[in-house]
Amino acid sequence: MKRMPHRRLAVFTAAALAAGSAFAAGADFPAAPPPPGPAPRLSVPTPAAQTLANGLTVVSVRRTGLPLVTARLLLRRGAELDPPGKAGLAALTATLLTRGAGGLAAPQIAAQAEALGGSLDANAAWDQSEIGITVTTPRLPQALALLATVARKPDFRAEELERARAQALDELHLALSQPTTLASLAAARAVFGDGAYGHSRSGTPASLAAIGRADVERMHAAVYRPDNAVLILTGDVTPEQARALAQQSFGDWARPAAPLPAAPAGQGRGALPALLVIDQHGAGQAGVVAAHAAPPRGDAGYYVGEVANAVLGGSYSARLNEEIRIKRGLSYGASSRLDGRRDGGLWLGLAQTKNPSAAQVVDLMLGEFARLGSAPVPEAELAARKATLVGAYGRSLETTAGLAAQVGELAAYGVDLAEIGRYIERVQAVTPAQVMAYATAHLDAGGSRVVVVGDAAQFGDALRKAHPQAQTLPQQALDLDRPDLRAPGAAGR
Amino acid sequence: MSRRLRSAARLAALTLLAGAAGAAAPAAELAVPPIAYHQRSLPNGLEVLSIEDHASPTVTVQVWYHVGSKDDPAGRSGFAHLFEHLMFKSTAHMHAEQMDRLTEDVGGANNASTGDDVTNYFEVIPSNYLETLLWAEAERMSNLNVDEANFKSERAVVEEEYRQSVLAQPYGKLFNAIDPHSFAVHPYKRPTIGSIEDLEAASLDDVIAFHKTFYRPDNATLIVAGDFDPKQLDAWVDRYFGWIPRPAAPIPQVAATEPARTADRRYTETSETAPLPAVALTWLIPPAKDADVVPLQVAAALLSQGESSRLYQALVYRSRVAQDVGAEVDARTGPGLFVAYAILASGHRPAEAEQQLRAEIARLADGPVDAAELDKVKTQLLTQELKQRQTAQGKAFALGQAALIEGDPARVNGDLAALQRVGAADVQRVLRRYVTGAHSVAIDYLPQAKPPAGKATSKGGAQ
Repeated sequence: MKRMPHRRLAVFTAAALAAGSAFAAGADFPAAPPPPGPAPRLSVPTPAAQTLANGLTVVSVRRTGLPLVTARLLLRRGAELDPPGKAGLAALTATLLTRGAGGLAAPQIAAQAEALGGSLDANAAWDQSEIGITVTTPRLPQALALLATVARKPDFRAEELERARAQALDELHLALSQPTTLASLAAARAVFGDGAYGHSRSGTPASLAAIGRADVERMHAAVYRPDNAVLILTGDVTPEQARALAQQSFGDWARPAAPLPAAPAGQGRGALPALLVIDQHGAGQAGVVAAHAAPPRGDAGYYVGEVANAVLGGSYSARLNEEIRIKRGLSYGASSRLDGRRDGGLWLGLAQTKNPSAAQVVDLMLGEFARLGSAPVPEAELAARKATLVGAYGRSLETTAGLAAQVGELAAYGVDLAEIGRYIERVQAVTPAQVMAYATAHLDAGGSRVVVVGDAAQFGDALRKAHPQAQTLPQQALDLDRPDLRAPGAAGR
Repeated sequence: MSRRLRSAARLAALTLLAGAAGAAAPAAELAVPPIAYHQRSLPNGLEVLSIEDHASPTVTVQVWYHVGSKDDPAGRSGFAHLFEHLMFKSTAHMHAEQMDRLTEDVGGANNASTGDDVTNYFEVIPSNYLETLLWAEAERMSNLNVDEANFKSERAVVEEEYRQSVLAQPYGKLFNAIDPHSFAVHPYKRPTIGSIEDLEAASLDDVIAFHKTFYRPDNATLIVAGDFDPKQLDAWVDRYFGWIPRPAAPIPQVAATEPARTADRRYTETSETAPLPAVALTWLIPPAKDADVVPLQVAAALLSQGESSRLYQALVYRSRVAQDVGAEVDARTGPGLFVAYAILASGHRPAEAEQQLRAEIARLADGPVDAAELDKVKTQLLTQELKQRQTAQGKAFALGQAALIEGDPARVNGDLAALQRVGAADVQRVLRRYVTGAHSVAIDYLPQAKPPAGKATSKGGAQ
């Protein structure tokens, strides 16, 4: 490593003497970082779970200190229930909850929630739908009353459906103009094919147009019911208060006689090549996404997966960012995420790079997926990435919203809530051999699906040279409703 | 100099179920506990602010330097930000990325940011690593030692950051164009991210000169918040930072004064990837320390915070000309901006949104403001503050913002009291003075396959 000119040190020394500072103290400045003191202990609060007579589960976690509470009503079904040709239905249903309910129009609902200091946020993800709000403790009863009104008594007025549809369409166009967002959608389609997790949960232009009021009402009736719901309250609230508040706003919510809808198969048959290029003419960068099918959330190897992903791309110092950003300056950031769901999961590597380096980033990403299964992770690296994971976990519990998110993930998948306090020991117990075996089992090279979205004129040739099987599709010819993504009659090569 | 604020006043006991049936308590009754901070200065000029908080076994260490993109050297736009990245490379006693070894690898996290006026470096670590990180921050303040290879590779990263935030984001070019079009004279007119050409022109010599000029104890504020022992903290700070010399050379200060606008101006930017047009309007506002900034923030919240806000209701909900709207106060140590923007809905033109943005701002400035609406906005802003204050890092950021941007750490608590006092007449006075009674810059943002040959067009003359 080249040293800086000595001149700088000399100037500093002279200035120190002139200013009369304690020069001797500078000579004392250690050349190595002082070692840490004894490690402190993180105390994780214990969730309390209760069930009301109508089947509603109430989970609360007490955190005093500030008068804040996060409330979330979580429903254990989401976008996987979107019927064929109606992609985006669960999301649209969630959006419409706050657009008119119990005799209140959309502006009145927004005004009430915001007068309480929060906002009602509703959305549908895979395997869950939810509506939540964070308010100060004195406003919690009113916030829950409002939350109950929108969840239980939405009116789905035709005019609001039209408005929400137009907004969803504009948001969709915006999302699809971002290379990595589009690449992630296409990669999920490549992995899940015609399975329930393969479609766009924000919908497509055609599917959004096809959704009618009756569809929304059916989805609401199927999903929003007390025996499919978990009310999560985290913050300045006791279990007794949680139960009383839940009873007050949700106690008379009737449980329907009809059984809960069965969850469809997430994984289907794929129809996309191992490497797909979507040509987005004029794109400022290329989005590169490499995807693999992964085990479900309930898999016995869940914590091994957490650690494996932490090594691959879970943080700044993880391998993908090390190779793509730190060593080569090819991206502002490269990362991975492992998303376990009810029926199967998805493991994604993501990076955005200047168009000409897209081919190089594809190969670096695939190389890192492969390395995870071909050699054990060195002990020191594994210890460092576990520490990163455990530290981030601890920090996520510092806010009421973060606490609610962690508890919500456990509740959504029926995992024992006490796992919230076991995370650290479970992560620490993972061995290099387990990580390697996990990667070998789930990352076979033939199973990877890569999608690159960008200005193909700048990287298409390089990519096809390294990957002759690559196929290219112009963005205009894209149909996200179809497992092969090709609009009927669309050209491509 | 040293002073210690009294610890947070106890909140009144709150009875949960009691309020269920009644109306919401007014914002005035919403108590946000003050941030109890300790302040001292070292003989070499380093300011030290600390907040003891044992809620979590972690501590945040932050060093805020009074240097930002307004101090970019001539012909080197984006340099302060590029430099920030290089502070994670080698020093005399640390190899490149060792900051990550001392943070991420032991369960912590680190990051940094560059703004117009300040650059801050911050870590959260398990509290037993406090001494280690104080050493590391003192080390990179005094002993930075970047080599050519690291310089070039990190410059490439920053160029990718430029492409990601400006070129690949559909509305990146619009937001990046706001400062260049809004300031005529002040160096704020250079965007913080800079340009690829200026980044390419930067050299390792520039790095050395910049560190020597601005990275010095008398140009920095150290903020420590979280789980620590105050006596031990003071001893460590003295040991690791006390020896760093205060250079004799004065710290360069931006002296430019931004003249008042004499006419409305309009510019056009184009995008090859934005699916829909947008429009942004800006007005000049006083520096962050000015008492008029808090009522301007209340005005921005009345206009755009949440779906019940005036702009959302008018443009997104009722007329449906926009898919997204915003109004914000971008206050700085020097002149700042009041910004209003709309991203259009399908089938609408920027002129329609601009007319409605202006009409709603005028209605707020000159029409009636309901007491309940004002109370709603105060409750929103106070709740937002409480949420930020849940973590030691959140408190430290709030304190740094007050100390360096507003010029006085006491503002971290004083602003909340000032917020409670804002009345409708204050909101209307500041809007009339700085917005409806002043000249605007308008930027139309148009999706276009190929940008036109010329650059921005400007049209002088009052409207």
